[in-house]
Amino acid sequence: MPTKTHVQTRINGENIEFLCEPRQSLLECLRDVLQLTGSKEGCNDGNCGACTVLLDDRIVTSCLVLGVEVEGKEISTVEGLAQGNSLHPLQQAFLENAALQCGICTPGFLVAAKALLDREPDPSEERIRFWLANNLCRCTGYDKIIRAVMDAAGKMQETKA
Amino acid sequence: MRLPPFQLHRPETLQEAVSLLAQHGEEARPIAGGTAMVPMMRFGFLRPEHVVSLKGIPGLDEISESDDGLRIGALTPLYRVAGSAVVRAQWPLLARAVGSVATPAIRNSGTLGGNLSYAEAASDPAPALLALEASVLLTGPEGDRTVPITGFFQGFYEADIRPGEVLVEVSIPRIPAGARWSYLRFAARSREDKPLVNVAVVATSEGVRIGLGGVSPTAIRARRAEAVLQGPGLTPQAIDEAADAAAEECDPLSDLMGTAEYRQDMVRVWLRRALTGLQ
Ligand SMILES: Cc1cc2nc3c(=O)[nH]c(=O)nc-3n(C[C@H](O)[C@H](O)[C@H](O)COP(=O)(O)OP(=O)(O)OC[C@H]3O[C@@H](n4cnc5c(N)ncnc54)[C@H](O)[C@@H]3O)c2cc1C
Ligand code: FES
Ligand code: FES
Repeated sequence: MPTKTHVQTRINGENIEFLCEPRQSLLECLRDVLQLTGSKEGCNDGNCGACTVLLDDRIVTSCLVLGVEVEGKEISTVEGLAQGNSLHPLQQAFLENAALQCGICTPGFLVAAKALLDREPDPSEERIRFWLANNLCRCTGYDKIIRAVMDAAGKMQETKA
Repeated sequence: MRLPPFQLHRPETLQEAVSLLAQHGEEARPIAGGTAMVPMMRFGFLRPEHVVSLKGIPGLDEISESDDGLRIGALTPLYRVAGSAVVRAQWPLLARAVGSVATPAIRNSGTLGGNLSYAEAASDPAPALLALEASVLLTGPEGDRTVPITGFFQGFYEADIRPGEVLVEVSIPRIPAGARWSYLRFAARSREDKPLVNVAVVATSEGVRIGLGGVSPTAIRARRAEAVLQGPGLTPQAIDEAADAAAEECDPLSDLMGTAEYRQDMVRVWLRRALTGLQ
C-alpha cells in the first residue's frame, strides 16, 4: 500500500480534510475521495477545461494539479455556486439559453465564467471568448454559452444597481 | 488513466531540493506547476520514482528589476510575468510572449522555469528570451552555473540541466533605448493552440536579433537571417532575403499541426511580417 498523505484545505467555504496518494490529481481527490463529482474528467491533459476549479481564486485545470499540493489552499467547485435551492445567475442563464446539451462541459464553463464575472462584471463578448478558450464543448457550438454568460452578466449588474 | 505511483517530496529550501534530486539521480524529477509533468507521467513518457515539488521553496517566485535588467524567479507563474507592471513597461516583448501562452488556466498554473526546462520547440517565451539575450541561473550539487539561453535549449525537449540541478532564475538585460520589437505567433487552427511558428524580434542600432519557435527541434536564434540584415538594415529586399535565410536554417518536424514544408513556408511569411511591423 502506498502511504497516503493527510491534506487540509477549504472547499466551497468549508474546512475539509482528506487522505490521498501523491499520484492522485486534485480532480481525482474531488471526485473519488470527496464524492464532489460536479467537476468532470474530459481529456485529463489540460486541454478541455471540464475539470476547471478555482484554486486560491484563480482558475486551474484540476486534472493537472496534484491533490497533496492543495494543502492550506482554498478551492471552489461548481457545487459551491448555488445557494441552497436558488441557482447562481449563471446557472439560471445557462438553462434559459439552452447553453448545454450533454452537460459534461458545463461545470467547467460555469466555474470559469464565474471567475471572470467576479473580476470583470461587464466583459465584452470578445473578452468572454478569450477567457473561456480553455473550455471545450462538443455539443453546443459555443454561441449559446457566450450568450448565457452575457445574459448573466447583465442580470447580475441589474440586481446590483 | 491514473498516474504511476511515486514518492512526493516537498522540500522547503533549495539546498534540500538539490540534495534530494542528486541523491535519487535518474529516478528523480522536479515538478513546478505540473502542467507538463502531470501529462508526461500520465501518458507514460516519464516514470520518476521520486518527484520533488519546488513550490514550497520560498523566494523562487519573485520578479525584480535592477540597473542590469530584470530577474524572474523560475517558479513565477506565467500570469504574473505577463501581468507584471515592470515587465509590461520595460520588456513588452516578454509580456506579450508570455501572455500568449495557451489560456488563463494554464498561465495560472504553469511557471516560467517549467516552460523553459520543458524545452518544447513550440514555446511562446523561448524565442522572446532568445531575442532578448536572456540567461538562466542553475543551482546543483556542484554549485551555481549561469547559462546563456542561446545555449540552454539543446535538443528535442532537452535543456542543459544536469542531474541534481534546479533552474533558479532567468535574467534579462535591459533593452537599449530606441530598440524596436515584434512578437508574432501563428497557430493553424485556433488562437489558444501552441504556435505552429512564432517569431520574436529585437532591433537595436547594433543589429537585429531573431528568435524562432516551432520550426526546429528546439527554439532557435536565426543567426543567418540576422547576418543578412547586418549590412543593409531593414530594407524590403533585405527583409525578403532574411525570411528566405530563416526558412533555410530552420529544421522543422512534421506533426498533426502541419508538415515540415508548411512550417518552412510559414517561417518565411511570419518573419517577413514581424520585420515589417516592428513597434
Ligand atoms: C493545454 C496546454 C496548452 C499549452 N499551450 C502552450 C502554448 O501555447 N505556449 C507555450 O509556450 N506553452 C504551452 N503549454 C506548455 C506550458 O507552458 C508548460 O507546460 C508550462 O509552462 C510548464 O511549466 P510548469 O511549471 O507547469 O512545469 P512542470 O510541468 O512542473 O515541469 C515541466 C518540466 O520542467 C522541469 N522543471 C520544472 N521546473 C523546473 C526547475 N525550476 N528546474 C529544473 N527543472 C524544472 C520538470 O521536471 C519537467 O520536466 C501548454 C500546456 C498545456 C497543458
Ligand atoms: S479533464 Fe482537465 S482539462 Fe480536460
Ligand atoms: S454540452 Fe456537451 S460538451 Fe458541452
